[in-house]
Amino acid sequence: MSAWRHAAAARLRAWAARRHGRDALPAVVDRRRIYILPTGRGLALAALVGAMTIAGLNYASNLGLAFAFLIASTGLVGMHRCHRNLLGLGIDALPETDAFAGDRPRFHFTLTNPSGLDRHDLEIRCGTGAANCDVPAGTVRSLELPLAAAPRGVLRFGHFELRTRFPFGWFRAWTYVQAPLTAYVAPRPAGARRAQDDTGATGAPAPARDDATGDADFAGLRPYAPGVPLKHMAWKALAHGGEPAVRHYAGAKGQALWIDWNALEGLPTEARLAQLCRWILESGRAGRRFGLRLPDRRLEPATGPAQRRRALRALAAFGTGDA
Amino acid sequence: MRRGRHSRDGGPAAAGASALPFGPLAWTSACLGLVWLPLARDLPPWVSAAVGAAIGARLVLATRGGDAPPAAIRWPLALLAIALLFVEFRTFNGLAAGTALLGLTAGLKILEARSARDLYVVVLIVYFLGVAALLAGGGFWMLGYLLAVCWLTAAALLRIDGSVRGLGARTALAYSARVLLHALPLALAMWLFFPRLAAPLWRIGGEGRGAVSGLGDTLSPGDLDDLALSDDIAFRAHFIGPTPSRGALYWRGPVLDEFDGRAWRRHDRGFSRTVPGRSAYHYRLELEPYRHDWIYALDRPVSAALPGAVLSGDGVLVRPGRDSAPATLLASSTTAPAGASPLDRRVRRLDTRLPAGSNPRSRALARLLHREYPADVQFIAAILARFHRDPYYYTLTPPPLLGRNPVDEFLFDTKRGFCGHYASAFAVLARAAGIPARVVTGYFGGTFNPFDGDWVVRQSDAHAWDEVWIAGRGWLRVDPTAAIAPQRVDPSLRDGSRTPGPFAVAIGRDAPWLAAFALRLDALRTLWRERILAYGPRAQGALLTRLHVPGPDAAGLAAMLAAALGLSFVWLAWIARRQLRTRSRDELQRAFGKLTAKVARAGVVRFPYEGPEDYARRVAALCPDLGPTVEKLCREYASLRYGAPTADDRVRAFGAAVRAFRPRGSRASAGIRRRPSAPRSTRD
Repeated sequence: MSAWRHAAAARLRAWAARRHGRDALPAVVDRRRIYILPTGRGLALAALVGAMTIAGLNYASNLGLAFAFLIASTGLVGMHRCHRNLLGLGIDALPETDAFAGDRPRFHFTLTNPSGLDRHDLEIRCGTGAANCDVPAGTVRSLELPLAAAPRGVLRFGHFELRTRFPFGWFRAWTYVQAPLTAYVAPRPAGARRAQDDTGATGAPAPARDDATGDADFAGLRPYAPGVPLKHMAWKALAHGGEPAVRHYAGAKGQALWIDWNALEGLPTEARLAQLCRWILESGRAGRRFGLRLPDRRLEPATGPAQRRRALRALAAFGTGDA
Repeated sequence: MRRGRHSRDGGPAAAGASALPFGPLAWTSACLGLVWLPLARDLPPWVSAAVGAAIGARLVLATRGGDAPPAAIRWPLALLAIALLFVEFRTFNGLAAGTALLGLTAGLKILEARSARDLYVVVLIVYFLGVAALLAGGGFWMLGYLLAVCWLTAAALLRIDGSVRGLGARTALAYSARVLLHALPLALAMWLFFPRLAAPLWRIGGEGRGAVSGLGDTLSPGDLDDLALSDDIAFRAHFIGPTPSRGALYWRGPVLDEFDGRAWRRHDRGFSRTVPGRSAYHYRLELEPYRHDWIYALDRPVSAALPGAVLSGDGVLVRPGRDSAPATLLASSTTAPAGASPLDRRVRRLDTRLPAGSNPRSRALARLLHREYPADVQFIAAILARFHRDPYYYTLTPPPLLGRNPVDEFLFDTKRGFCGHYASAFAVLARAAGIPARVVTGYFGGTFNPFDGDWVVRQSDAHAWDEVWIAGRGWLRVDPTAAIAPQRVDPSLRDGSRTPGPFAVAIGRDAPWLAAFALRLDALRTLWRERILAYGPRAQGALLTRLHVPGPDAAGLAAMLAAALGLSFVWLAWIARRQLRTRSRDELQRAFGKLTAKVARAGVVRFPYEGPEDYARRVAALCPDLGPTVEKLCREYASLRYGAPTADDRVRAFGAAVRAFRPRGSRASAGIRRRPSAPRSTRD
């Protein structure tokens, strides 16, 4: 029964995908893409109302019939309201997310309700994960959808589903959003070896130099941009009444750390990746420039959160055939 | 009893929850309690107590954060309940036993509830119980009951389900009230146009719900006491044409001939072969259901428009082999005596028979009197005079007659009784004197309702009298109860008729306006009965004819149903469309949107990227006559939107200014015109 249901759902999804094509986020849920079917509870109710109607007819009980018909109409109004609960919602998602193995990757969604109608009990499903929320009239809600804890790798989803059983649980309305979502699950950091730097000398990633005091590599001021470390702020310049500025250091290219797969001969793959991950994190924390060398890939040295993310995603994708 | 499990539908969020919270449990229990109200009356009290106890126990557990009790407790309880039910009813078939079983199941289901799914099952049972309560019909307050059950269950469902459970109690009630309001027109249309059956598909044999009140086919003085106090309606009569005087309204029921010294019983008399006289009164009868084959008709029925109805040998309208009263029939009767055909010898023997040795003192009295008054008519008058003169009292609470000769006891010792005692005693005396006599039970009188012209006959109007055979005149009615001196009628009964209902007495004496109100209420009840409860295939056909729906009935009804369904969804969609329209919560934004819409009608559409200042400049260039106003409004908007926060009344003033703005007669120059021929709206 369940297998049959899943097969039917898969076919419907494929059909819907052909019908609507890929979706660009943010998407708006329009009438054509909402599907609605009675739930098991709805079918049970329908059977009961049928029995009530037959009994009412047989005993010529007009009150019994009125009761049965009132419940039936309530069900139909409920069906309409279930459909309406999705209609016109705006939906957006961050297409990528990162996590470490053993943690639950979390996707982030935004639901926008521009109408004058409160929306209740909306559920977003993606893979094994689900998240619920209400979206009152004229508001925007963001919600986090945790997937099941996953091993290292890349989780790709071609679509996600927005569904609701509001108000009475007798019907379920849903819509497929054909937009790719990707979760990069990096290895959990582990290992105690030391990384090699460019010179070939093995050593722990150099402890962060105190850039705020040492000014050997100071290369001038740059305009402030959000996201720079606070300790790079040129507080003095700001105090003198200037524009917010950031001290810029000439990147010590020669001192870039190479985080190298080949430095870990003899370890099993996952342990190697875990060690590489630790080094990446440590380098990131230290604000150090680093490059990554994997058998199938090479990241040029750079610094900052973007580099760190690139490196972690490279580890996540390693050996999975997924770029 | 299936063990409650988390439903697959419950989703991951529900799977994480451990115990069912108090709220959904309490709401579902409230639904069960509400639906149980009218059912409890007809079921043994222990069933209600058991259901209440199960609910109470589960709610107490829930307040402590506990879960359902373990199976080791629930199973024995379930088995015990089923065993007790069987002991009580001896069957699980039939409405009363089935209702009790369902109620207990629902109670136990709440006790064992672990998930929303269990509560859904309870709601289904609640619906089923609702139908059980409504099947038998009922007063118009049942309509309120029906709506209340639907309303509360809908609100409960909102609270049961919903992983978010964002709806508070009041919101849930308001929401379900709106749903119900939207469902009502469709439900009404379905009710009006759903084809009805002309004949039932099946019947439940014999058993109705509890005891249906009404007269039985035996009379042993002491039986009538319950009946006389009941204020339920027995039937209604509506005279077409002349109406007999109130004192002639004897509604004859079963005629009792067989006497065993204590109780009077019915004797099968076969069917009447004599043609009754000309009918004098025509009337419509509406009978409440009861389980006998006779029909209460006025005095001597002549004809009745009812399939299968015949006149029995003793002049009672019966339907042999049928045991459920019809709802409505037309009949005619006469109150004139039957005329003098000689009495069949067999009948004479039957109607003068007394069991040997019973009630010796009464027999002695009869012999004594008969010697004194040899003529039958004089003898009868003498007995009635004795009832009038001697200290005989009329009371609804007579002392019990437990001895072997109850008639003796009543006539000589207690001298207190009601119609049954007097009718029985009179018949015994008459028979002892050799006069054929029989006891007739039925109803006397009734209450006339001036608002709808109905005579309402209640169980409290039940009466018993006698008929005696007088040679040359035939069967004559004698009402010995009427002979009792008025001062010896129980004072609490003195105001009304001889056997008034307590309610009638109370309202008749103290508050005339209350009596009028009661009569109006009764007229409403009749309307309810005739238009709602008795709505059937014929009324449906009449409705279709009035609506000018062509074609045969079934097709017409199907067309009406389809039309109703379609219309109601169009209506729902229209409601939704209005609510779904994007509507900014921001008053300022709304007002500005209105301004741009007005200007757009004049021909200049604001580009999405255009700020208010640029927009105003462009409007001024294209529609010079609108320019100054639009520029002023846009400047005000910009200052409200981007300037320092201001008081609300400035925003409101801006809104008023936008409303007052009428870009009448202005048109943008040709190239920019978007909708040159758009009709001008003066609406806003």
